[in-house]
Amino acid sequence: MLNFLDAPHTLHLASLEVGHHLYWEIGGLKVHGQVFLVSWFVIGLLVVASLLATRNIQRIPSGIQNFMEYALEFVRDLARNQLGEKEYRPWVPFIGTLFLFIFVSNWSGALIPWKLIKLPEGELAAPTNDINTTVALALLVSLAYFYAGFSRKGLGYFAKYIQPTPILLPIAILEDFTKPLSLSFRLFGNILADELVVAVLVLLVPLFVPLPVMLLGLFTSAIQALVFATLAAAYIHEAIEGHGEEEHG
Amino acid sequence: MFDFDATLPLMAVQFLLLAAILNVVFYKPLTQAIEDRSDYIRTNETDAKERLAKAESLAKQYETELAETRKQYQMTIAAAQAEAQKIAAQKVAEAQQEAQSQREQAQQELDQQKQAAMQTLEHQVEALSREILDKLLVGI
Repeated sequence: MLNFLDAPHTLHLASLEVGHHLYWEIGGLKVHGQVFLVSWFVIGLLVVASLLATRNIQRIPSGIQNFMEYALEFVRDLARNQLGEKEYRPWVPFIGTLFLFIFVSNWSGALIPWKLIKLPEGELAAPTNDINTTVALALLVSLAYFYAGFSRKGLGYFAKYIQPTPILLPIAILEDFTKPLSLSFRLFGNILADELVVAVLVLLVPLFVPLPVMLLGLFTSAIQALVFATLAAAYIHEAIEGHGEEEHG
Repeated sequence: MFDFDATLPLMAVQFLLLAAILNVVFYKPLTQAIEDRSDYIRTNETDAKERLAKAESLAKQYETELAETRKQYQMTIAAAQAEAQKIAAQKVAEAQQEAQSQREQAQQELDQQKQAAMQTLEHQVEALSREILDKLLVGI
């Protein structure tokens, strides 16, 4: 039994490290270095793929251009389905980047054996399993939909808080807090839980048994990225359209 | 697990930067490419449709022209045949008439000559008979 408990220390590949971070000091501020390292990798991957895809744009796409066009059409459709044909264009970069960044982060965390790179402290993993990242993204979504609402309706945006009835005012205000909270914790929880489950299973049975859970993890990661981007688009749509079909007249 | 620090704002800034960069290197050019392509396809399609319609109308026109021409040429043939028949009939009739007239003339001439011959014969008969008579009478 003692031997089993000691296992995390002896098997490095199967060790669990939650809450350990590689701290960097920047101007007296502490940041999580391992999150930034992987996020730079993700950003680099996206930018390089984009540059390769758009380096030599052909009318008949092939290879990487075709693939990236598929990705673009996917996020365009996502934005269009939520925001409608008329409004979706300016929001495609924001929503699309949300999806691509979260998706590539999740999958890089699941597919790339970061454990092989040893850090002094903490471990490399998907940036999305750090609460800072998910809260940052969720707050950006909040800012985005507030911006969308204000730029569309000015101060009239506040009318939506008392639109059906002023009784719901507290709930409407509460919603503005629960939206980023639920967004960030859903993503954070799913990705962290997935990595923990995989880590625990690897700890118990190192071979083959964790594979189905890993596949499930890939699926969950993709779904979470989709959910995050879709909800962001839905919130923005809600802010633009308000409660009213009456606005369409 | 829940230790918030400067990672959060830096990550937000980093994300916005990523969105801005991707907007320039990914969304704009590829959206442009996709829209250009769909424009190209659309214009080509309308062009092709126009050309098809034109070709069809041309084919129809050609067919009507063909039918008209065929009708005309049949009419021409019929007219030519009728005319030829008429001319032939006329020619035959003329020839027959001429032949008739020539035959009549020949008959007439024949009759005249016969009459003339008969007359001379009569004269000769008369002269002979007178001579015979004279000689007989002289003998008496």
